[in-house]
Amino acid sequence: MMNRAIQVRGLKKSYDSNIVLGGLDFDIEKGETFALLGVNGAGKTTALECMEGLRKYDSGTITVNGKMGIQLQSSTLPAHIKPMEAVRLFAKWNRAKTDFTMLNAFGIKETTKKQYNQLSTGQKRRLHLALALIGNPDIIFLDEPTAGLDAEGRVSLHEQIRKLKSQGKTIVLASHDMAEVENLCDRIVILNAGNIAFCGTAAELTDQIGEKYFIHIKTRQGNSTFETDHIEDTLIDLIGDLKHKEIRILDMKVDRGTLEQHFIEMARRETE
Amino acid sequence: MNGFLYGVALQWKLDLRSKSLLVTCYIVPLIFFLLMGGIFTSVMPEMGSTLIQSMIVMSVSMGALIGLPPSLIETYGSDIKKVYKANGVPIYLGLVTMFLSAFVHLMITCVVIVLLAPMLFEAALPTQLPFFFLALAIYITSSLSIGSVLGLIVKNQAKLTMIAQLVFLPSIMLSGIMFPIDLLPDVLEAIGRIFPAFWGYRLMLNHGFYFENLWYLIVIFFAAVIVCGTVLKKQKEK
Repeated sequence: MMNRAIQVRGLKKSYDSNIVLGGLDFDIEKGETFALLGVNGAGKTTALECMEGLRKYDSGTITVNGKMGIQLQSSTLPAHIKPMEAVRLFAKWNRAKTDFTMLNAFGIKETTKKQYNQLSTGQKRRLHLALALIGNPDIIFLDEPTAGLDAEGRVSLHEQIRKLKSQGKTIVLASHDMAEVENLCDRIVILNAGNIAFCGTAAELTDQIGEKYFIHIKTRQGNSTFETDHIEDTLIDLIGDLKHKEIRILDMKVDRGTLEQHFIEMARRETE
Repeated sequence: MNGFLYGVALQWKLDLRSKSLLVTCYIVPLIFFLLMGGIFTSVMPEMGSTLIQSMIVMSVSMGALIGLPPSLIETYGSDIKKVYKANGVPIYLGLVTMFLSAFVHLMITCVVIVLLAPMLFEAALPTQLPFFFLALAIYITSSLSIGSVLGLIVKNQAKLTMIAQLVFLPSIMLSGIMFPIDLLPDVLEAIGRIFPAFWGYRLMLNHGFYFENLWYLIVIFFAAVIVCGTVLKKQKEK
């Protein structure tokens, strides 16, 4: 347990007859960035809230080794509170020193005179992240940290999360954004209907699913994408076919797909 | 303790920024006081002896029953309550800070009425001011406790508007502040006795501070504490 930040064993949670978590077992190492991944309703927020102590669970054990900081989703502050007031209030609750410089570090210093309901979605997310860090927690929980953000906001928040990781913080995030998880996380748990469909690294997931490639071809007739597990054979066949039909290739790109595509494939296999 | 006091002070500021509490605790009661104070004392000069108590019952009823509950719904009817749990503070902290903040707002309004009424309308000041302010504090507490129950039990603002009016209007109409209670049919008089306004009004009158007018307000307060405690305990256990 020394190197583990969180240990989860046999975690079960139901709402009436609806089983949301069917008995989860996993560990999160100290300093690790760990993702709970799944489609809406997969149980990731429930699992996260059980670990945070915000939700009671039916059975199982959760052992947390360190001080927690929790970034709640948006709309969890009073509409008329100002960022500086929220920082001061949270600092007093956590018996920590009030440090307004964190607002500057998170790029929301210019919002200090605005009320919470006047902040943009990105500013709210960054404020919630800043508030979660009050008291210098060891483990930081992030629930869909970039949901609703534009590209610039996502990049900025990803930078903040990477900085926290470089400081040795353990980060646990729930997301349904595969690309985000692929970029940020060391390990992933994929939840499907309250059960663990996969636990490991992104590379291990790819190994488990297979070497799927995507071939994108642009011709005068339009754009086409082909999926294959046998890249060499498919490429030879495609090029041969196009040459035979005297169709000129304008552009061609090969990639290995995103985690999202792998996840869809995994969910499809589970259903079958 | 430091955090608690800061929380109360901050809530007080947030209440002023929230237009609904500003309107229900200050603007409407004071406009009502300025208009009706003039009308009452012109039409019935004898009302000058009870004008302060009447206007205070109206102000406290409006602030406590219509002003406080929406703030509670904003917190306890939404995910804002998670903030308390996430920071390891008791879930009832929000209720306590909002209650105390509303108490201070209502007390300020009442003091303004007590100061202005004699100057503007030649209204009589209460003869025993310490007892008057003690009665006022008890009445505000009792009324806010009913507002707290409404804010925690009713789940949405639309329903709350209707239910709050069902409590507010009889409080005002049947408490005896608009016209003598003797003129009402027995049934309406009995209904009037259900609401704290009836008892609070009598408790604040000169020589009205005795147990017969006091016990009901105390019972209401403790009943409300039990209801609020039960509701919050259920929310915590979810």
